[in-house]
Amino acid sequence: MLTFSTSAIANWLVSLLSSASIVKQAEGLAAYAIGVAILIMAFAYFLGWIERKIIAKVQARHGPTVVGKYGLLQNLADFMKLLAKSNFFPKSSDKLLFAVALPAMLALSIFLILLLPLTPSTGIGNMANGLLIVFALFAFMPLLIFINGIASGNKFGEISAQRSVIMMMSYEIPMLIVIASIGMLARSYDLVNIVESQAHIWYIFLMPLGFFVFFVAMLAELERSPFDLREADSELIAGWLTDVSAPYYTLALFLDYTKMFLGSLIVVILFFGGWSGYGLLPVFWLVVKALIFAIFVMLLRATAVRMKLDRLLRLGWLALMPLALINLIVAYLLFVM
Amino acid sequence: MTTKINIGPIHPSTHGVLRLVVELDGDTIVGVEPHIGFLHRGVEKLAENRMYMQNIGYMEKIDYVAPMAYDDAYVAAVEEAMGVEVKERAKYIRTILLELQRIASHLLWLGTMSNDLGQFYTLFMWTFRDRDKILRLLQEHAGARMFYLNMRPGGVVRDLPPDFEENTLQVLDYIEKRITEYEHYLESNQVFIERTKGIGVLSREMAIELGATGPVLRGSGVNYDTRSNKPYYAYSELGFRPQVMFVGDSFARYKVRMLEMKESIRIIREAFKKIPEGDAVGMPIRLIMPQAKNRIVTVSRETPRGEAFIYMIADKERPYRLSIRTPSFINLSLIDEIAKGSRLADLFAILGSLDLVMADVDL
Amino acid sequence: MKIERGKLIETLKELKGKGYKYLVKIAGVDNISSISVLYFVRDIDNNKEEVVEVELDPNDTALPSVEEVYKAADWYERTLYEMFGIEIKGRQIRRLLLEKWNGKGAPLRKNFEWGAPYETKQSKKAMA
Repeated sequence: MLTFSTSAIANWLVSLLSSASIVKQAEGLAAYAIGVAILIMAFAYFLGWIERKIIAKVQARHGPTVVGKYGLLQNLADFMKLLAKSNFFPKSSDKLLFAVALPAMLALSIFLILLLPLTPSTGIGNMANGLLIVFALFAFMPLLIFINGIASGNKFGEISAQRSVIMMMSYEIPMLIVIASIGMLARSYDLVNIVESQAHIWYIFLMPLGFFVFFVAMLAELERSPFDLREADSELIAGWLTDVSAPYYTLALFLDYTKMFLGSLIVVILFFGGWSGYGLLPVFWLVVKALIFAIFVMLLRATAVRMKLDRLLRLGWLALMPLALINLIVAYLLFVM
Repeated sequence: MTTKINIGPIHPSTHGVLRLVVELDGDTIVGVEPHIGFLHRGVEKLAENRMYMQNIGYMEKIDYVAPMAYDDAYVAAVEEAMGVEVKERAKYIRTILLELQRIASHLLWLGTMSNDLGQFYTLFMWTFRDRDKILRLLQEHAGARMFYLNMRPGGVVRDLPPDFEENTLQVLDYIEKRITEYEHYLESNQVFIERTKGIGVLSREMAIELGATGPVLRGSGVNYDTRSNKPYYAYSELGFRPQVMFVGDSFARYKVRMLEMKESIRIIREAFKKIPEGDAVGMPIRLIMPQAKNRIVTVSRETPRGEAFIYMIADKERPYRLSIRTPSFINLSLIDEIAKGSRLADLFAILGSLDLVMADVDL
Repeated sequence: MKIERGKLIETLKELKGKGYKYLVKIAGVDNISSISVLYFVRDIDNNKEEVVEVELDPNDTALPSVEEVYKAADWYERTLYEMFGIEIKGRQIRRLLLEKWNGKGAPLRKNFEWGAPYETKQSKKAMA
């Protein structure tokens, strides 16, 4: 789990050439990374529990109640059961790609969360282009889903892989335009600066249109309802996950909540002021806001009807793009004034 | 260049075991070929070797969502063979029970159809909770929630329990509120409207030509309902009106069923006002050996899925031939005509709006 | 009404012209000395029904296909073919309900052997 961003690598190389305490630095960074990674996984697990309970309450039933108090250990039991099953790759699949895609996605999500500044003083390296780096890496996710779908070798996976690429093309662009407007408002792409410049007023109040566009695009990227075309439960069986056998399926389930955590953190940092709030620890505020946003996304999943592909594309190109461009103009005006 | 996809017998969305071989051109459907027979139990052949009362068990399991409808159809055929008249009070009781069964069946259809459209089981859970209340009511009368066996030639197996009317009217009030809520919820959802309006159009001529039946036929503008064209039991006295929509797409079929639910609620309330006192119990089991007043019998009944048509040749102890036309059988054969030209994602919306039960298809 | 099989398509076309546009069912009955095939047609607008019966000799069962007159006849004829062994002439017929079964005889006939052993792909593999 020791991977570095480019500026961090540059810093590290410079410090390597100029000081002798590299080992100490590397150790400190590693300890931070591993500790936070474990916390992230615990949090994603907790999000999974919250989702099951919330969807159950909306549907007039209880959700898990038996395993552990309030059903908290239910997900753990599910994961243990899934990991104990045997793994096999279908004959017509490309085994190497199939074996690598899902762990790579999980690693990428956790790495991206590590890159985000969780408190005013952390985040791996103080990166001047943090926002751009995060989104450049975020764009890899649909590609990894595509790889998994193609490598699975059956028609449902291929259809699902095609859909993921099409969706990515339609929804990345409005998202990037909104990010450009945020960069304009904050006058920098450093994530810490973006959060600190929201100290007076959160960006959601300055750019509600931008928030709306970003929210819809983020839902599409996270493949949550109503955009869950990629693993359309009742249509393509499980799309790109059809031939994934049990141990890898654990990763896929876990990945769902990790990505949702990642998405909520990004939205909160960009629009809701990150860790600002009185009283308690900054990281507490960040996590609470991310939780509230995640709960809203889960409620959306329980009640929305899935959209069809052509309507999705029309939404992306004909509705979100113009709104994102309008938002960009508004941000430019705010920037100039 | 067309590819063939196999939407195999085990699939979360085909309401049972149905295999569809779909020929696709990109994302557009060029042809659909259903392969059925996974649930074929040979009811017609078995019926020839069982006595009349032993056959009721088989008939109920033809449609496991609304078993009372086939129970009633078969017992009506036996009655006509024997020349037995249904008692007055029993006519009203049968009407009430059949309409309750229809509401329960349509509630299940609503849940599974919205499940197919991608609604993550929420509406499904809610409609099942409402359906449970109706099953409770039917349990108080018949003793079972699913396979009732409560029809006897001449009447029903026992009269209604004393507080049946009060309970039913309470449940009907509750369900009426819920149905209005579901309608509002679905029809104000832009995505639902887009996924059902204009999808899967079946024109009036094709509907009659291909033999569609039930809400599929009425959704295409044909005003034919067995309850009003060939009235039986108390439907004509209660002023039954068939619900017809004229467009023929999935939304029309959905709307027909929602309207039918409301009509059923109205009929049940009317029936409770007009029900005569008297005896409603039918002939007990051991007397069922038809004296063969009519040897050849034809019965049409309106099950929630469409018209079930029974043609029976009655011998002294067992039916010589029992031939049943089930509505889902002929509704499924329409899928090729309806689905040509739509996208793959629409196929499931169309299947959901046809309301198929695979046991009904395979007979 | 009882007609001969030669006049089947004519009669049905005539009935369709008179307004009986809806085919309800095509039923087969095995009276041991003959096999009857009944066509139930219905006039939806005037609410009338009509039955056309064709009697066939059990050893010479060949019927013309009525699909050109009533499109709904497709699946009914397929079940007639597999359940009674009636050949339908005029188009390709495939079994509908019993695709994988390869036993002998026609199930709904009275002289069908109950419980006769039959082979399936799995049992062939097991025996081999």
